[in-house]
Parts: sequence; structure tokens; C-alpha cells
Amino acid sequence: MGDANTLLTPAETRHVLKRTGFGLSKRDRRTAERNRKSRGAFVDKLLRAKPKSPRFKGDSFSNAQDAWLIHLSKTKAVLPEKLVLFWHDHFSTGIDVVARTGLMTQQNELLHTFAKGNFKEFVRAMNRNPAMMEFLDTVRNRKENPNENYPRELCELFTLGVKDLLGQPNYTQDDIVQIARAFTGWRYSAPERRDERLYERSEPFFEESRHDFAANYPERGPKTIFTTTGGFGPGGAAFDADGEGPSEIDTVIDILFAHRDSEGMNTIARRTAYRLLEYFAHPNPDLAVVDEVVATSNFDTTWNIKTLLRAILTHDAFYVTAAPAPFNASTIKSVKWPIDLVIGTIRALGMKLKVDRERGLRIEGGGRARLRSHLEEMGQELMNPPSVFGWDWEVAWLSSATLLARFVFARDVGAARGRGRNTFIPKKVLNLRLTDPDAIVDAVLAILGLSDQLSAAEHAALVDYLTDGGTLTSLDLKDEDTHDERLHGLFALALQAPAYQLH
Amino acid sequence: MAITRRQFLKRSSAAAAGGFFGPTLLGNGWMHQALADTIGDRYFVLLFLDGGNDGLNTVSPIDNGGGLLRTAYDGWRNTGVGGINLSPGELSPQAIAADPGTGAQLGLHPGLADLKTLYDLGKVAVIQGCGYPDFSLSHDDSRRAWRTGSPGGTSSTGWMGRYLAANYVGTDIPAAGISNGVPGEFVQSATSVLTVRRVRDFRFPYDNSFRSDIDLKRTIFNDLHESARAGGQPSVLTHIGNAGTATLLSTEAYPALHDTYQLERPTWDQAYSDNSSSTSNDLREVAKIIYGVESGVPNVNARFFQVRNGGYDTHSDQGGANPDGSHFNLHNEVGSALKLFYDDLADMGAIDKVCVMVFSEFSRRIPQNDNGTDHGSQGPMFVIGGNVVGGTYGNHPNIEESALDRSGNTVYSQDGVDSFRSTDFRDVYGTALKHWLNMPHGQILTDVLPLDSGDPAEWWTTENFDMGFLP
Repeated sequence: MGDANTLLTPAETRHVLKRTGFGLSKRDRRTAERNRKSRGAFVDKLLRAKPKSPRFKGDSFSNAQDAWLIHLSKTKAVLPEKLVLFWHDHFSTGIDVVARTGLMTQQNELLHTFAKGNFKEFVRAMNRNPAMMEFLDTVRNRKENPNENYPRELCELFTLGVKDLLGQPNYTQDDIVQIARAFTGWRYSAPERRDERLYERSEPFFEESRHDFAANYPERGPKTIFTTTGGFGPGGAAFDADGEGPSEIDTVIDILFAHRDSEGMNTIARRTAYRLLEYFAHPNPDLAVVDEVVATSNFDTTWNIKTLLRAILTHDAFYVTAAPAPFNASTIKSVKWPIDLVIGTIRALGMKLKVDRERGLRIEGGGRARLRSHLEEMGQELMNPPSVFGWDWEVAWLSSATLLARFVFARDVGAARGRGRNTFIPKKVLNLRLTDPDAIVDAVLAILGLSDQLSAAEHAALVDYLTDGGTLTSLDLKDEDTHDERLHGLFALALQAPAYQLH
Repeated sequence: MAITRRQFLKRSSAAAAGGFFGPTLLGNGWMHQALADTIGDRYFVLLFLDGGNDGLNTVSPIDNGGGLLRTAYDGWRNTGVGGINLSPGELSPQAIAADPGTGAQLGLHPGLADLKTLYDLGKVAVIQGCGYPDFSLSHDDSRRAWRTGSPGGTSSTGWMGRYLAANYVGTDIPAAGISNGVPGEFVQSATSVLTVRRVRDFRFPYDNSFRSDIDLKRTIFNDLHESARAGGQPSVLTHIGNAGTATLLSTEAYPALHDTYQLERPTWDQAYSDNSSSTSNDLREVAKIIYGVESGVPNVNARFFQVRNGGYDTHSDQGGANPDGSHFNLHNEVGSALKLFYDDLADMGAIDKVCVMVFSEFSRRIPQNDNGTDHGSQGPMFVIGGNVVGGTYGNHPNIEESALDRSGNTVYSQDGVDSFRSTDFRDVYGTALKHWLNMPHGQILTDVLPLDSGDPAEWWTTENFDMGFLP
């Protein structure tokens, strides 16, 4: 049992760096060897990184996707980006519905602003984020026929969850209908130009004539919610504390954030902690762990994401997936998101990426696919998740088609020979003076963050590849054929290894 | 180098010398057992009409019979410009049967002329009024209900997935989605589901600059995945080992299915091309795979398929019987593709082994809006195949004004004395599971389709897995 004061081993430090970033850079590996800090002290340093939005350039959606990918491949502030990706999935919004790139990049900036900030303020801001208003029909929510789309997802996905962690319902359909009335009348000012230029900001505004004031529709009665759930008692919670009108959508947030589950615990604090534990630590976290990290961070009163994250990253539960091979029945592993796989590989291999004006952002390797297409084939097109439910995690990432896409990416990286940008130059990360096949495999696995993650049989298979099944006893990596065929080939195979698909 | 490599390949246990097909799947005992106990030598195809197909303009009342369906229909669905009303004259050539509840003569949408041909052959079951209690008007919620077979539940696995998990394991590939991601119906983690857009392109990515060591790479790749499988834990690693091996074997077997089909069934191949729709293209991929299974191609074992056609979210410009309308085109596309697929499989001598189930996540609003329809509730399903007991099953939903809910949707009912009683889609699933996929009745209820609790008139508390559309 450890806590924030527990000293990190080099292996644990590598785990922290992998899970809070993307792969292990050469510098990360050096840091892990030298680190003498405790969990808390080390994590505090990572948490200090300031979120910085990508520099969105160009005038098309694919330009915006490429800009984010370039940013991810280079930024020093990796933990905030890891959080931005979590929130992108949480507040899932996609270009297929939103249709305007500028709205998506504006939302991306919002995700950066609040990535490790105040969760309650974050949700308030999301209430009037134009991309979200477009995506979930807030702009089509009129008093004559209140639209339930956003209110339903606000409750179901963004805050409470349909059921609490004990399986009890958190709200009723009537609650959704009432909340929908609060959200009537909101619109945003669209940029005047109809093309998809970036940098044009849209501003939300409230239109009184479209809002469902109780006076306009007396037959609907006052807006009261949670008369049967939430711990407010039979009187429920009313919106009119701050009067009717534009403030109602903020009042709704106040009420939601005071909601208590069937055990009397704060519903949103528990669910948010649960989701962050799933993301950073492992699937199916224990309820006891959820309660511990909420208590440690006082997340249910402060709503400070950074403090909650510190509690998670210093908790034993976070170190569970670091278990070295050989694995046993109680070993828990988590599947890498495609974006982790792609950006983690690029950073670990020290690849320098640049967008080619004509051909977009791509690796100069075996195929012709753009990086964003690789991700799309793997099932994770950024800024275009499959639905408001976001992406399905863990094993759902792995179908034969998406696995094949991972293998294709590995092939392309392995085949990215050459000296220019967007290629893979092994000597930047690997000592080419190594001659012992075992040592070469060990070095490659260390670069890929797999040092203690392969079984003896898997390790032997990679050595077999280098030695042609035991025929060779040593290799000259500076020999051009050996370098271009075997060494590049070894990297491709290691990237295709089952262990590399896991954190 | 070449000699040592050959020696190495001979030594390697994972790659059978001289061929790509490792010992993993061939002659695998449980595989044959699974086939005998479950689907047998048959195929099951799911066709998902994505977006919410307008049921009222798919199976429509031509007259009133002993009730008021047609009168109500004419009240909701306008004629003239922007109207989507299907007139009795337009529907009459498409007449199928009378609605059991009201006696109203029913007709299929004129766009479904090819489906009507199959209906007349007795090969189509039209199942009316399919839905689920406490229905959602959200695409996502409702898709989730149909995919998981568990409306209102939190199940993350698909209804077919739970069936597959109960009957298959390991690297076998009993199911294929003509898609990129695993179709929601098939989601589970016990066995591998192939997902492939086009079998021709499903090739393993080798480095084309250095093709000389492909055999060696192939061996090592397989060794890595075999080792992960052999470890047996954690389960996610076993899953990747299984899926990796399955994917490798599939890339070595599936692309050739395309060439074989083109070579041996050129007129059918051309017919799908002439039909020129995404549904016919996707069904052609299914036909290629089935042709492969029928021909005994090693490592091609898929017997469960999912195909999706989108575009049914006809909030506007839905159209009526005019061939310019979007709904007509959707129906025409699916009807003609299904007929082609049926004829192709019949020509292969395999149609008696095929069952196709067509469904959508919901129907549409009974009153039309300006010139389309909004999200709705219960709608019809189709089941098609050589062994299907054709006919019309279930009741038409009650579309009279007094029967609609506040939004204008038909209401789900399980009330036994209601002549408009809905068909819960889980009864349709259950009938297929029991009568086509040979799952024991009790196991369907425990493993795949748990009953609801609540008022028996409003919830699905009593199953009927013997609807009769499959023998």
C-alpha cells in the first residue's frame, strides 16, 4: 500500500510518464532512471504543465485535424493533452453534425481552457458552447416544443449518468422535460462568411421570445426537477432561485451538482472520478477507490480536476496496470486508444513531423495514408467521434479491421526509411553499436516502453527474427542491409506485438 | 540466407511449411461441435436500416377493413405537393395480406416491388409493429436498445454477441461485419468478429521494399500472437492474440474470395455492379464469403453477417410513391439488392440455408411534418430466406388520433386483448435464436434476452419465441 509520499521506482516512473503522456521519449527514459521523487512530488511537476491549444491553421477540417496531431506530437504539456482527449470523448461532439470547422476548433480551445480546471465551470461553459449547441440541438430548442436532446445528454453523459454506481436511477423523463424548458431560447451568432474559415468565433446569446417562461405556458407549471431522486426531498429542486431566463441554465448546473445518489453521495463527483479512473488507471475501478480519491481531493466541493487527478495518480489503483510479465489471472491491462498508439509511437521514436501542403500529414513509409486516415481506420477520427456516446473503449477498440489498421500503421512506421522529415531514423533513439541480438531487442523494447511487458516466448520470437531463427549470433546494425531490413523490420514487428496494443 | 530461412521455417511450429494455414483452425474439434449444436450449415444476415425507417409508408393500409386505419392514414399523410400519401391505387399492386387486428388490406411501399415478388413466393415474413417499451426517440438510445437486445439496460454486449460468446471461442471467426468497427449486435470479447469493408482489400501489410523476409515476418508475427494466446491471461491479451491470429489468417484467405467469385460467378458479380448501390455492394461481399464457405475455402467460416444501409432519417423530402422521393429510392435500393442476393444464393443452391433479418432503430412520427416525418416508435421488420414461412405477422399499430401519444407516436402495448398489440422485437430475435440458431429456449432468456419486469400490458414480461416465421 502506497500513497503520495511513496518513492517511485524507475519502472513506476516510466508507467507514470506513459499513462500521463504519449509513449516514452528518450528524455522520459532518462528522467525515469534518475528520478528519486515521491509519487506526489513527481506528479505535481507533471500537473503544473499549462494546457496550450494547437495552432489551428489552414481552411479545411483536415487542416484542423492535422494541426492537432502535429501539436500532440510536439507539445511538452502532455498531461493536459491527455485530459483534453478525455474531455473530447466525454463531451463528444463531431464535425459530421456540427459541419463548421471553426466551431470545432473553438470547442477544442474550450477543452484546453478547462482541461484541469473547475469541472462545474466547465459544464456551465459547455452549456453555451456553439459547437455543442449545434451538435445537440440547443439552437433548435424553442418554447413551443422543447428539445430534449442536450438536456438528456447533459444528464446522461456529461454529469449524472442514467444510473448511479449502485445501479439506481438518477432522474426521470419528467426531469429531462423540465430541464429542456430551461434550455429554450439559446442561439449563437454564426460567423458571417459561409465558408469554413477558422478563427471566426461564434458567441452564444439568449433570445427571450423563444424562451419558455412559466408565464407563457402556464399549463406546464413551474420548472421543478428531482422530486423522486437526488436527495432533494419530495419538493424537488426549483429553478427560480435566480429567477427565470438566461440564468436558468446555470441554476440547472447548480442543482445537478448538488444531486446525491442512492447512498447519499454526490452523484457527479463519484461518476466523474470513476470515469477518470477508468481512463488513467484501469477498467472497472472499485467503488471504494472512487470514494477515496473523491475524499482525498474534496472534488465534491471544489470540483477541481487537477486535485482529483493528483489523488488518482498517487493512488495504488493507478499503478495496477504497470504489473510486469509474466502475467497472471489477476493482472489488469488497459487497451491503448488509437491516438495513444499513434502519437506515442511518433514521440518514442523521435520522429519529426511536418505537414506537407499537398499531401497533408503523413509518414513517408510503406503506404500513402495520412496520419488522420490511419486513426480513422483504427476507429478514432479526432473531432468526429461516432456519436454523442464518444468512443467505445478497451476491447471495443480492437476489431479485425481496426487491428489491421494498427498493423498497417506499424508497417508504415517500420518502412519509413530515409533522412528527411516524417521518417524514422533509428540512430536517433538506438545505439547502433549494439551487436548482441538480445541486447538489441531489449533496447528496442525499452524505446517502445515495453521493457518488462513481454513474455519470454514473445521476447524470443523477436530475437528469432533478428537472428534468422538462431542462425546469426551477432549483428552489425551499421551495415546498410541489416539496418534497413532487419532493424526497421524489428521495430515494425514490435509495434505489431499484442503487448504494444496495451498500456 | 535463403537456406537458413527455409530451415528455420521448417523448425517453426507455428507456420506449417508450404502453406499459410496453421494448425490453429483446421480440424478443430470444438469448431465442428459448435456448428452442429448451433447454426449448423446455415447463415444469418442482419440488415440494419439506419436512421429510423418510416414504417407507416413501408407497410401501409390500403383500406379500412373493419377498422379505421386507412381513414386515419389519409388524415395524417398528405396528398399533393410535399405530400407523402401512398394512394390505394399505388399500393394495390403491392398488396400483401390483411392486418389481423383490423382486417385492413395491407400493401408494401411501391419502391419495394422486388420484395413483393419474393413475398409472393412465400419467402418473406412481414412482421408489423415491432418495438420496445418506454421507447426512446433518440437514435443513439434506440440503436443501443436494438443492438444490445436490452432496452433500458446498460449491457455493453450485443444480442448476437452474447449468442456468439455462448457458442464460439478463440480465433475462429464465426461472424463478419461489412464495416470498419464491430457491429453493435456482435460486440463481445470471447471470439473474433471479422470486420471488413471489401474482402479484396483485406490484406496483411508487409513492407514492399523488403519482400524477401516476408515468410520470416509472418512466422514471427504469428509466434507473438500465439504466445499471447498461450499465456491465457489477462483476458484482454488473449483477446488480442486471438484477434491478431484470426486477422492474419483472414488476410490470407479472404482476398482470394473476391477473385474466385468474380471468376466463377461473373454474371452475378455484374448484376450487383449494375444494381450499383451500397446495399447491393455490401451484400455482394456477404455473397462472396458465403460462396467461399460453400466451396470449403480453409479459414473462411463466417456464418453471421451484418450490413447497414443509412439515410432513413427522412425529416424532410421523404416523398411518396414517386420514384424521385428519397424514401422510394431507399426502399428500391434495399428491395432490389435483397432480391438479387436472394437469387444469387438460390443459384448457388444455398438460399434454403440463409435467413436475412431487416430492422431499423425506430419508425417515424405518424403525422407528417412539412414534407417528411420526425422520429417515431414501432415499425415493421422483414425476415427473408428460402426456409422462411412467408406471410404477415403481428398487428399494425393503432394510428387513430386518440391512440397516439402527446408527440404523435403510436404506443407500445403488450396487452393480449388489444387488437393493436405491439410485437416486441425481442420476440422476433428470440424466434430466430430458437428456430434458426438452435439456442435452447431457457438459455435465450438467461444469456441473451432477459425479460422486463413491470405491468404485463406495458412491458415485455412474457416471451413468444415461436412466432412461426421460421420452422
